[in-house]
Amino acid sequence: MSRRSIFIIITAVIMLGAGAWSVYLMLRPAGETVIISQDGKELYRLDITREPDRTIEAEYEGRKNIIEIKDGEVYMSHADCPDHICIETGKLRPDTPIVCLPNRLVIEYENSGLDGTAR
Amino acid sequence: MPEISRVLPMLMCLTLLTSCASDKAVSSTAADPNAKSSGSIFAMDTYITVTAYGENGDAGISAAKDEISRLEKMWSVTDENSEIYAVDHAGSAEMSISDETAELIEFALDMHERTGGALDISLYPVLCAWGFTTGEYRVPDDDEIAGLLARTGVGKIKLSGNNITLPDGMEIDLGAVAKGCAGDKAAAALKESGVECALLDLGGNIQTVGETKPDGKKWKIGIRDPYGEGSVATLEIGESAVITSGGYERYFEEDGVVYKHILDPKTGRPAESGLVSATAIGKEGRYCDSLSTSLYVLGAEGAEKLWRESEDFDMVLIAEDGSFIITEGIEDSFALTVPAEMKVLKR
Repeated sequence: MSRRSIFIIITAVIMLGAGAWSVYLMLRPAGETVIISQDGKELYRLDITREPDRTIEAEYEGRKNIIEIKDGEVYMSHADCPDHICIETGKLRPDTPIVCLPNRLVIEYENSGLDGTAR
Repeated sequence: MPEISRVLPMLMCLTLLTSCASDKAVSSTAADPNAKSSGSIFAMDTYITVTAYGENGDAGISAAKDEISRLEKMWSVTDENSEIYAVDHAGSAEMSISDETAELIEFALDMHERTGGALDISLYPVLCAWGFTTGEYRVPDDDEIAGLLARTGVGKIKLSGNNITLPDGMEIDLGAVAKGCAGDKAAAALKESGVECALLDLGGNIQTVGETKPDGKKWKIGIRDPYGEGSVATLEIGESAVITSGGYERYFEEDGVVYKHILDPKTGRPAESGLVSATAIGKEGRYCDSLSTSLYVLGAEGAEKLWRESEDFDMVLIAEDGSFIITEGIEDSFALTVPAEMKVLKR
């Protein structure tokens, strides 16, 4: 096998891999990627179907939020704010973001089957 | 391997093409007329997202965000530099306000009339006493509420052209109309930027630009489950505003009693109308915003009466027992996603 053929095959494997990944990105079902952002900046981008159980802490102006990921579900377990609306929102659903206004923290699915939810 | 060396480069080109198409989430490329752009802003005490399609998307989103920030500076009840703050702290002196603010106050006074008093922009002192404005909740006693109610009353607001006078101690708050009006003006800013297709989500107030999405389909909007986290129904709409009010948005519990944030202007206490959520669907954001609050306060009977007197909105009401009342204008575009009883009001 010539050096040229080996080069072509290796490049092809890489390209096909990239292609397959792109196809996967395009075709995967809505509502798998969870984005955690603070003050408009993306902090985490998680594939929730693969994410191990863990705790994520986020700080904003000295105040803290704790986000729990458990069995593929996401919820806010602690927030240094008076109203705790984000905790009461419960587990993250594809059509309703979890928002902690005082700490500018948003947890949301990247895609859902709906264009929006009136709430 | 002459065959492979000829075929593989072609395959590589193909895979290259597919990998370009996958970058759909982030932002537009100028060449794609259906490209989707999105942006977000924290304003008006909520989280606002703007999604726009087409080559002017980014410019439109930026114009919409600027518009919302501008309006927040005028209408915030807590910002010491806002027009509303100035009016609220004028101590019975006459104040001159901008055309836009005067127009919105006049609209709110008109809606007060139309809803039999259910929409009341003078309730702010009572809302503060309950702690709904700060999150430091408490239950005021009857005497305190009576004292505060004496400081309310839309009839005492004197508005003449751009001049407004409030009695000393009275405070107005445009919270029930400002977000809706901001939706209208942000939608106009998007259109002026050349955007024909966009969706604004102002903390759950939905407002669309364009009768369909670029794919020709109607906008599909969920209605939040008042008892849970997901949605209980979907609605397919053209260019409209869909605005929901519900006690679940903000509430607290004390001694086993749940107190919800939408107050009945007549009692100064959380409205107990038998509804858990009210959604207004119409062309104008400020109208639907004021309606959703009013319908919730009025309850099923009062809401039906208001609908029969009007020609320009549809509604979805969810009662405490989980049953639905909808109006005939949306019958074909409305679908329940949970099993529930439903009644359709016909004219």
